[in-house]
Amino acid sequence: MIRVRGLNLRIGAFALRGLALDVARGDYFILLGPTGSGKTLFIECLCGLIRPDGGTIEIDGEDVTSLAPRLRGIGYVPQHQGLFPHLTVQENIAFPLRARRWPAALIKEGTEQFVELLGIGYLLQRWPGNLSGGERQKVALARALVTQPQVLLFDEPVSALDESSRERLCGELRRIHEELHITTVHVSHSVEEALSVGSRAGVMNDGQVVQTGPLTELLRRPADEFVARFFRTENIFQAAASPLPDGGCELAFAGHRLAASGRHGGKVTFIIRPEDIHVHGTHCAPADSPLTHHESRITNSLPAVLRRVSDRGVYRRLEFDAAVPIVVYSAGAAESFVPGQTYLLAFPPEAVHVLPS
Amino acid sequence: MIRRAPTPEAPRGPVAGPRVSVFSVATVAFLAVFLLLVVVLIVTDLFYTDAKSFREALGSREVLHALWLSIFTSLVSVAFIVLFAVPVGYALSRYRFPGHALVDAVVDLPIVLPPVVIGLSLLVFFSTPIGKWIETTWVEFVYSVPGIILCQFMVSASFGIRAAAAAFDSVDRRLEDLALTLGCTRGQAFWRVALPMARNGIVAGAIVAWAHAVGLFGPLMIFTGTTRMKTEVLATTVQLELSIGRMEVALAVALIMLAAASVALVLVHALAPGRRWMNR
Repeated sequence: MIRVRGLNLRIGAFALRGLALDVARGDYFILLGPTGSGKTLFIECLCGLIRPDGGTIEIDGEDVTSLAPRLRGIGYVPQHQGLFPHLTVQENIAFPLRARRWPAALIKEGTEQFVELLGIGYLLQRWPGNLSGGERQKVALARALVTQPQVLLFDEPVSALDESSRERLCGELRRIHEELHITTVHVSHSVEEALSVGSRAGVMNDGQVVQTGPLTELLRRPADEFVARFFRTENIFQAAASPLPDGGCELAFAGHRLAASGRHGGKVTFIIRPEDIHVHGTHCAPADSPLTHHESRITNSLPAVLRRVSDRGVYRRLEFDAAVPIVVYSAGAAESFVPGQTYLLAFPPEAVHVLPS
Repeated sequence: MIRRAPTPEAPRGPVAGPRVSVFSVATVAFLAVFLLLVVVLIVTDLFYTDAKSFREALGSREVLHALWLSIFTSLVSVAFIVLFAVPVGYALSRYRFPGHALVDAVVDLPIVLPPVVIGLSLLVFFSTPIGKWIETTWVEFVYSVPGIILCQFMVSASFGIRAAAAAFDSVDRRLEDLALTLGCTRGQAFWRVALPMARNGIVAGAIVAWAHAVGLFGPLMIFTGTTRMKTEVLATTVQLELSIGRMEVALAVALIMLAAASVALVLVHALAPGRRWMNR
């Protein structure tokens, strides 16, 4: 596993500030963050290309903070792929084994299985300059894998590719991880990329990891407004909260009182999850409508005027005006929504996530 | 190792042939004018001299000795130049230190100085106690063959260093760093990545330095003299033959130099490895 504690580094305007992170053995961990958050600095510290000013990095229990990159047992694929242009694909893949002075027969054997795994046998005699972006990344991946490292480090490995190549390569990364179970840290700024490869993730902001956990947890329960906005969460509001005696709290919002889970007080920032809001016609208020078991738990309702409907393929994005703009994601294909009409927005207290202050 | 020809889909490198346009015609016209100037000069030299002068030049022990000495000294000095240019060029390219700009300027100094000044400076240096000590304890430079090599080195090394530094500048530093994560030490990353990628620039610099060294005569006349069968090289032969009015023999010697230089350039271009990947 990877264990990082108190990592400090300052290079010009960029800095890592007491960064801490744990990645379990065999995990595929996605480290997300916007440009300038320190992701690349961090991964270069993990690689050993940059010596941190302070803190420790452990890989499988061994402190590697001051070890040379070649001694860390890592495979690294940088954003620029880093194929050596003066070497053929075959020579590029064999490079780490040649550097370690493996005998020729073992080099052939060592490279073959990964060439096969990635299906790049047809590229071996080609030059890097003649490869597509996706092919280049596969070669870079094969080269990182040939030494069978303990840890794989990817720095935005697919961000330079077009959308379809990106999806294909993300599929490859997932498949290879499922096959080899190598502990992987994959740095990215793309939420879509994260969703297509990883299950556990962390978000970096201003040189620190601000939240880690299962990706779904990060999406549903962001630790702060930065994480919420990074995941492009909609319906972020502020309101005054007052705790309720029986647990939960009440929010004074847009002239209504909303029930939310968790005991909070004072001014809070909260999210109403667009996918958890149910839309009803005004003639059919939740109190007197034939509610299903699921709907019977609904306690919050807001009348709102539908302003705009946009089709997003598998769901529709509905923009409502309930004194404040509220967005709803509706997966119901059969329902017809008429802009200009008033609807009732209903949602349970669990759909309201109050961000920790 | 000479690489195979590039595959047809190579995205970079020369186009199959220039398309006819005002621009392409203009560039090719300049090329033609330049080639014409060179060819006219060679042809004029060929017509000015005659077979007898050639026979006289090639049959002369002094000229043959000068030819051999030119080849020997220039090759040895180029070997030293490459030996210095690679680490010096790498250091100039990769490291930033206090006074870097000053060091850069000092490296370029021999390029802008008249070569005669360097010959004179060497002569002055070896008349100092340190210079005399070097001569008595180690090697005699003044009026000797090692002096020719030292003089050629001092005058031409900057060309090699400048070319090597430019070649290392063009190598992406990140590739060297990446090599460290792939199992290389810093030294291995240099040998396996930076040096092969900078090789073409270094070879080009060595060619320029060699051409400069082989054509040197001013500083040699000051520092090593032009003693026949001892310190006379081809460039000084041309000067000596001219000074005694044997224009045809001087020209014949010049043409021998031209032929030797052409053969060397063709050989270097043919044998320089690792060039073709750049066109891929």
